[in-house]
Amino acid sequence: MKAKKSRHPRSPRRLGKTLAFVFVTILALVWLVPIIMMLVVSLMPPDQRAPRFGGMLISGVSLKNYVTVFEDAEIVQHFINSMAVTVPSVFLVVAISSLAAFALARLKFFARDIWFYLLIMTLMLPIPTLVVPIFQINKALGLNDKYLGLILPYTALGVPFAIVILRSFFAGFLKEIEEAAILDGCTPFGIYWRIMMPVSWPAIAVVIIWQFMTSWNEFILALVTMNTNQVKPLTLVPLVYSGQFMMRPGPMFAILTLITLPVIVVYYLMQRFMVSGLTSGAVRG
Amino acid sequence: MIKVSPHCNGGRFRGGLNFATMSRKWLIDNQGLFFMAPAMILFVVFVLYPIFYIFGASLYDWDGINEAAYVGVQNYVEMFTDDRSFALAIRNSLYWTFLTIFPQMFLGFALASILTSGIPFQNIFRIIFFMPAIISPVVLGIIWQRIYAPFGGLLADIGFETGARFLVQPYLSDPKIAIFSTIFVNVWQWTGFSMLMYVAGLQGLPEEVLSAAEVDGASIRQRVQHIIWPMLRHVHLTLILLGVIGTLQTFALVYMLTKGGPNHATEMLPTYIFLKAFPLQSMGYASAVAVVLLVIALSASVFQVRVLGSRFTIGN
Repeated sequence: MKAKKSRHPRSPRRLGKTLAFVFVTILALVWLVPIIMMLVVSLMPPDQRAPRFGGMLISGVSLKNYVTVFEDAEIVQHFINSMAVTVPSVFLVVAISSLAAFALARLKFFARDIWFYLLIMTLMLPIPTLVVPIFQINKALGLNDKYLGLILPYTALGVPFAIVILRSFFAGFLKEIEEAAILDGCTPFGIYWRIMMPVSWPAIAVVIIWQFMTSWNEFILALVTMNTNQVKPLTLVPLVYSGQFMMRPGPMFAILTLITLPVIVVYYLMQRFMVSGLTSGAVRG
Repeated sequence: MIKVSPHCNGGRFRGGLNFATMSRKWLIDNQGLFFMAPAMILFVVFVLYPIFYIFGASLYDWDGINEAAYVGVQNYVEMFTDDRSFALAIRNSLYWTFLTIFPQMFLGFALASILTSGIPFQNIFRIIFFMPAIISPVVLGIIWQRIYAPFGGLLADIGFETGARFLVQPYLSDPKIAIFSTIFVNVWQWTGFSMLMYVAGLQGLPEEVLSAAEVDGASIRQRVQHIIWPMLRHVHLTLILLGVIGTLQTFALVYMLTKGGPNHATEMLPTYIFLKAFPLQSMGYASAVAVVLLVIALSASVFQVRVLGSRFTIGN
């Protein structure tokens, strides 16, 4: 359809396209206002009083707020905490869900479909329903205020979506390749490790980006699990410093920018995979 | 215990007919269980057990520290007969469901239509509109507080400067409009996601059908209304399914913008569970609310999947 249109550039169409372009440009600028505002306020000079327009009009550009944040807030420690929770959960989700998805897609075993539907049910479960019991489980296991107290639940809650993605990817493999491998004497684990995993990067990339973003941004479980400031991940940092920086929006917005940067970088690096992953899924639906 | 050897030719079954070899054969036939085991264990500990747990805990009056007192269904009776905050949370969930899902579907579809028509920079536009979806609601909540602030806030100052006084509103402090201000932020955050799903859907439509309709002289409006929109049914259904689940787990945005206030006017079921369980130390009652939320979420999802044929984003 796209190609056809450009081959027959009739003038009303071209006018329509120009109008659409203008409309989308204006809308995109409005859309970006909150994000631009985050950056602008974070660059506000510290001596500016009573910012107007929410801080969109600043009297100069200064990096002083970032200096303040690194001096007065343990932002590096919080960043390490976020990484210490997110990276292991991403790694565990990829390992655990790819094994399970391989079994669900390629092997026959006892109660296979029941296990699949149970796991899928997790996708329909609002996480807040589990907050009280997970808090109590962590308390019983002595995991409150420990990274593991978030890594394990994040992994458990991330595995089902990853299984859905990887299972449909594994299911698309030709049966013949697998049969040839079995004839050559390969075990199921060999098929999984030597044949399926090395060529599944597009699907694994979707799993990585999704798990990274959900773990990095997760809030309610972090809020109830991490009570000591020393171990809190970045997502709780605005609450930690809301008192200290109450009257100073500059440092607060510098913190917000610092929290957001890693996610935007990861998204930007992997968005090619993300769009194609969603595309293949939604189309196959 | 059988060893599932990583070598090729490992674990091959050899004859004999006694109990040990029978169970050995069963294990070989069910090797998949070993692959599933880590996922199963995590599921049982962090999903299945918690579900049973909240059903049990909902029958007790319990502060989480001292001895729990069995009260039967008292928590549920109180919730449904004498709890204004709970009623508000249910009302807000309905508002949230309809006022989030449908606006973002229509807007997302419109954007996707424009951004697949071959205008310049369409990939950059897609990234711009999708960007709010990847930013933490905690961050967005704090930014939007400054946009909505009555003194020195972005909207209020624009209103004062330009004379468009209707822009000066107590967006988050008036119980009558606070929930709509909150929903607006949510629509802004997720429209880009709908757009991306529709882009994927539009790119997957069969070209023949569309060009046939064009040759037959169908207008753009007719094509959208009678061909394109109906053919994207699976995208609509996925978005509704994800929208309902998203509504039912809304927490961070509301917590950062209003903490469920003023006077519970923006309370959602998750914020209410948190409020009861932690600040108010009423774990039993919070569990009862969690059970209600669980039942609503599962029945809504099962209804959509079974009756409407909705599916999750990817695969089957």
